[in-house]
Amino acid sequence: MTAGRVLNLYTAAFMMFMFAPLLLMIVSSFNDVSPPSVTDWRGFTTKWYTFFWDAPETLRADPVLRALDRPRLFACTRNSLQVAAVVVPLALLLGLAGAVFLTRWRSRLNGLLWWILLSPMLAPGIVLGLSALVFWGRLGVDAGLFTVMMAQLTFVAGYPMLMLMARLQRQPVELEEAALDLGATPARVFARITLPFLAPALLSSGVIAFLASMENYNTTMFARGPACTLATEIGAMARNPNGHPPVINAMGTVIILMTVVAATAHSLLARREAGRA
Amino acid sequence: MRGRDVVLDGVEIVYPNGFRAVEATDLRVEAGEFFSILGPSGCGKTTILRAVSGFVEPSAGRVLIGGENQAGRAPHLRPTALIFQSLALFPLMSVRDNVAFGLEARGVPRAERRRRAEELLELVALSDQAGKKPGELSGGQRQRVAIARALAVEPAVLLLDEPLSALDLKLRSHMRAELRAIQKQTGVTFIYITHDQGEALTMSDRIAVMDRGRIEQVGTGDEIYSAPLTAFAASFVGEANILPGRIAEAGGGEASIDTDLGRFVGRNPRGLRRGDAGLLFVRPEAMRLGPADNALEGTLARRDLEGPFVTYVFRAGGREVTMHLANTGAAPVPGAGAQPLGFAARDAVILPEGPLAKTGRELAA
Repeated sequence: MTAGRVLNLYTAAFMMFMFAPLLLMIVSSFNDVSPPSVTDWRGFTTKWYTFFWDAPETLRADPVLRALDRPRLFACTRNSLQVAAVVVPLALLLGLAGAVFLTRWRSRLNGLLWWILLSPMLAPGIVLGLSALVFWGRLGVDAGLFTVMMAQLTFVAGYPMLMLMARLQRQPVELEEAALDLGATPARVFARITLPFLAPALLSSGVIAFLASMENYNTTMFARGPACTLATEIGAMARNPNGHPPVINAMGTVIILMTVVAATAHSLLARREAGRA
Repeated sequence: MRGRDVVLDGVEIVYPNGFRAVEATDLRVEAGEFFSILGPSGCGKTTILRAVSGFVEPSAGRVLIGGENQAGRAPHLRPTALIFQSLALFPLMSVRDNVAFGLEARGVPRAERRRRAEELLELVALSDQAGKKPGELSGGQRQRVAIARALAVEPAVLLLDEPLSALDLKLRSHMRAELRAIQKQTGVTFIYITHDQGEALTMSDRIAVMDRGRIEQVGTGDEIYSAPLTAFAASFVGEANILPGRIAEAGGGEASIDTDLGRFVGRNPRGLRRGDAGLLFVRPEAMRLGPADNALEGTLARRDLEGPFVTYVFRAGGREVTMHLANTGAAPVPGAGAQPLGFAARDAVILPEGPLAKTGRELAA
């Protein structure tokens, strides 16, 4: 067997490993059986999708859907969006400050600072969740959405910081010096030169931060107290003694679809921008 | 626009890592002058420029512009504008917005700064490109945008850091003439940094030759070229035959020097005395076929056709001696075998020993 064929085989196996579970999830989301299965085919259905807007009577008539708490799922989703709405802008602000600091004000402490700022990304999520809980508890703040936001922020801010640093390193310092020399104050230089240059990176790191916040489970789990988010609620539903309901598969399929659409749109936009430059 | 004078008063620049980029320097650039600082890379010329524009604070000494001490003034508070080697045009702004940026920073109303930008773009013949992004322009056009952008803030002093180095030869000589014309038209003081002696000689009112953080000589192009005062200046600007030796006699502004090719007479501007070690410099175009005030003998080793002139390389006593002769029908042509060569005493200059420029032909070797 040639090296090329080994490589092809490896790639195929790798793809299988990555995509087969997703494929099974999508297929089982259309199978009228709970817990979800692809081998035990009981007929095509879209009821795991229509669950989200069906009338309450319809749900009560179904033995599986009857057991699910739809209002609670919606409330948890709203919580997730609320958390993201606070975490994403703050993460962008903190990440931007860190990135500008580390790339523009060079000092001997930069290396140390880099590790300190990024260590939450490497630390186990449980540790972050627990330490946020302990820290804010000492200050008299009970565990809840606020502690979730603060715990998430510690590591989510790392993504924008890394992405903005990479972009800032590509902008010659001379551009900023030229603007200063032409009479602009440092604030104007930042607003007119640096920020427009960073705009694409701000947008994409905002999306990444949003996804990181929405999908976070372990840190959130430890910091949440009595509150719930979409991720923790899906976790709770999956631990259902009757096996997890295919509604989760339906949600997963929708999320994949949205991700694919967003990624395609992003690469189309990037290509258009590259074509123009 | 009115130029102002720039004075460096004992300016010394030492970087935090201890590197002495500029030794204590006194320099006076007159208002409205086109002044070049010429030197090899790493000689400290860009550091001087950054000290005048305010990006570097001198470790000692003062920078005065129009008589005002600039100590502690940030770049945006100084009456200077800097044109970077990379030009540093703002890639996301149109050409018009680039030119108007300095006015925008000064709070000039939109209509007024637009009008000024259009005016300046006309000055540099780019009116039809105002709406484009810098990336869509050619090298020479980008160059002119950078000039217009710098002039928009009506600086008293324009600082240029090798702005022509990215252009090809033909465009470069065109831009030289253009820069010179713009400088005369606006009356702004230009301080021009370059390692290219051609640029310095063609454009400047005066030139400072710089090496290792020190200014070697300040003078007009003619002075620098024809009456160099240091071994570095003589070897960095133009080509020269260089002969080491010892002074035999000195007096009346001239000296004779004993070299391994014989005794020669030349000017002695630095007042070397009998017994001093010295270097004799003779430009290739000052060499003649046949004996003159000074005579030596050489055998033709090589002929290089340069176009307007021909370079002849002679072997003489284990050294090479270079001669430029005009490429015209009337010009003499050296024959075969050993033949007499010579040069006038007024075309030779004897200078104290010192570091030589690394560029050019190493004749002393």
